[in-house]
Formats: sequence, C-alpha cells, structure tokens
Amino acid sequence: MPILSGGMRGARGKAEPTVLRPGPLGDDPGALTPALTDAFVAARDALEAGRAVVVVVAARDLMGQGAPLDAALATGLLGMVRTLAIEGAKPGWRINVVAAGEGSEDAVERTVATVAGSELTGQLLQIGGANLGKLPA
Amino acid sequence: MSTAIVTGAAGGLGGRIGERLAAAGHELVLVDLDPAVEAVAAEQGARAVVADLTVAEGVAAAVAVAGEEVGVLVNNAGITRDARATKMSEADFAAVIEINLVAAIRLTLALEERFVDGASVVNLSSRASLGNFGQANYSASKAGLVGFGRALAQRWAPRVRVNAVAPSLVDTPMTRAMPPDVLAKLVAKIPAGRIGTPDDVAGIVAFLASPDAAYITGQVIYACGGRTVAP
Repeated sequence: MPILSGGMRGARGKAEPTVLRPGPLGDDPGALTPALTDAFVAARDALEAGRAVVVVVAARDLMGQGAPLDAALATGLLGMVRTLAIEGAKPGWRINVVAAGEGSEDAVERTVATVAGSELTGQLLQIGGANLGKLPA
Repeated sequence: MSTAIVTGAAGGLGGRIGERLAAAGHELVLVDLDPAVEAVAAEQGARAVVADLTVAEGVAAAVAVAGEEVGVLVNNAGITRDARATKMSEADFAAVIEINLVAAIRLTLALEERFVDGASVVNLSSRASLGNFGQANYSASKAGLVGFGRALAQRWAPRVRVNAVAPSLVDTPMTRAMPPDVLAKLVAKIPAGRIGTPDDVAGIVAFLASPDAAYITGQVIYACGGRTVAP
C-alpha cells in the first residue's frame, strides 16, 4: 500500500494529508490481508497524528468491473474508512475515499487536495462521472 | 440434485441455512473448523468437513468432499475481534480479514470448475460493511466480500450467480452473551423492533440459491429490519 504523501508540513504549517492508493493485487488472495492491514495501520497512525487521510481507489473496482481481488480491496477499504470515520467523529478525524474514473488523474489530485482540506469525513467522492446510474457503492 | 456447501455450519445460523437448503433438495456438505459440525451434519443427513479454510489443506479437504457438481456455496464462516481502532491490534485486524474474506475467496475460486450451470454463490456480508463502531476489521472484511462478489458475478455470468446477504444483529449465542442493556439499545435502533432470527437470514439465502432468483446476480440484500435507513 503506497503512501503517496503524509507526515510533512505544508507551506502554511497545516499538516499534509496521508494519501493511500492501492496498486493491483495480482492473483494471490493472501495479498489482501497485508494490503488491508497495512492500510489500516497507516490510516490510524495518520489520524491519531491529526492528519487527514484520503484513500484513492479505482471507481471500476468499486463496482467489480475489474479483477475480483482488486474489487475486494477497494470495497474493503471503503468499509474500513466508513468505520474509522464513525469512530473518529468525536476526535475530529477526517478520512474519505476518492474513486478515480478512467483518465481523471488531474481531477483526482485536485479532489484529494480539496477533500483533505475540508470537514468531510466518511464520504465517497467519485470523479469524472464514474458509476453514475449504478448502485451506491 | 447438486451439492450445497455451507461454511461456518456448526453455528446456529449456518446450521439453519443448511436445513433450508436440504429442504430444497440439495445434498449438503457442512464445513467448519469446530468439530461440532459433525453432530449438526448427522442431524441433517449431511456430510461434514472439519477444516481450517485459511490453509490450503483445509480448502482442498472441502473441495474433495464437495464432489464434481456444486450447485450452491454459502460462505458463512466468520469471526469478530472487535475493538476501537486505537486499541485494535494488527493481529486481530489481519485475523478477521483472513478468515472472513480471504478464506471465502480461496474456497470460492477453488470450486470454479465444479459449479454446475445455474449455480449460486451466496456470501454472508453484514450491515456493518457500511461502517460500525469498533469493527474496522469486520467492516473491511464484509465490505470486501461485496466487492469480490460484484466482480465474480460479472466474470462468471451467466453460468454462476454471486450475491450477498447483509444481516444486522442476529439471535446467536454471541448476541445472547451481550449485556441486556447494550442489546436493548441496539435493538431500539432497528425499525422492525426486534433482533433478527437465523430463519430471517436463512430464508433469504435459500431464495438467492433457488431458481426464483435466476435473474439476480451481483447484488446485496440487507436483512436488518430497516437498520440501514434508520437514524
């Protein structure tokens, strides 16, 4: 689970968010356990340190339109994020999921920055019209 | 009639699911780590497999007993290791993922070639997949099952259907062990005004496994007495 950023102070002294973005898992179901566990530990550490957390997943994985293990990881992360948001309501934890559509990388970066600086928590933001007309993830 | 496999079948819910599937005419294979599954199987005229599905040998044992024509797989086995995130150990987080999610995936994929046309996989997810205090591990595992099922439903269509049932509180030995005041507060949040029964869930599993659900795949049915929409 790559941590793309986090732990540093921005130009205005505000803690930068921790951004977690899973890569493809491959064919071994056993890879799910360390992927989810590492994400949990990284997210918890960041939240306890007062940093916002943004988990970036592929929108297609939320609907299971790619590999089954990648779908399990994406939706598993979403479930974890929602629980951490519930538990963090009182201490003010901010943790959200951004779902990236195809070819939306610039929009994802802008959205991550916006979400991390907001009061949102426990939310899923799908970028680029991804999954419109589909089930709520 | 094809075989129906139920994991976590030594418990009250798994046992009831087995009864409903047997009543529908399936030959039953009941799987559990707990040897008590043998007594449950004997009562139901089923075959029992005592196996740890987190290891390859356990999965192989279940597959070997399942035979060549599997019509139904119910991934019901699961554990809880609840704690606030700040107190939750990495080991407890990983254990819940491994048993509730990874073991189910391993068994499902191992059975791919044995599923008959029209077969049905039913994964026991949970309302907690939407988030639940003290259950970061459980939420992740049960939400992961939803995504896995959605993907497999598309990959294996039209030969095999894959769906999930997401219960809320169900009357089991675990919930009966809760302090009465805690349980009462939880029940108060359920519009149906009561805790769910194993039959509430088993009936939905039996429906999803049946030809009546032939046009349903990749879906989740929340069996929670309206808890998902209540304040």
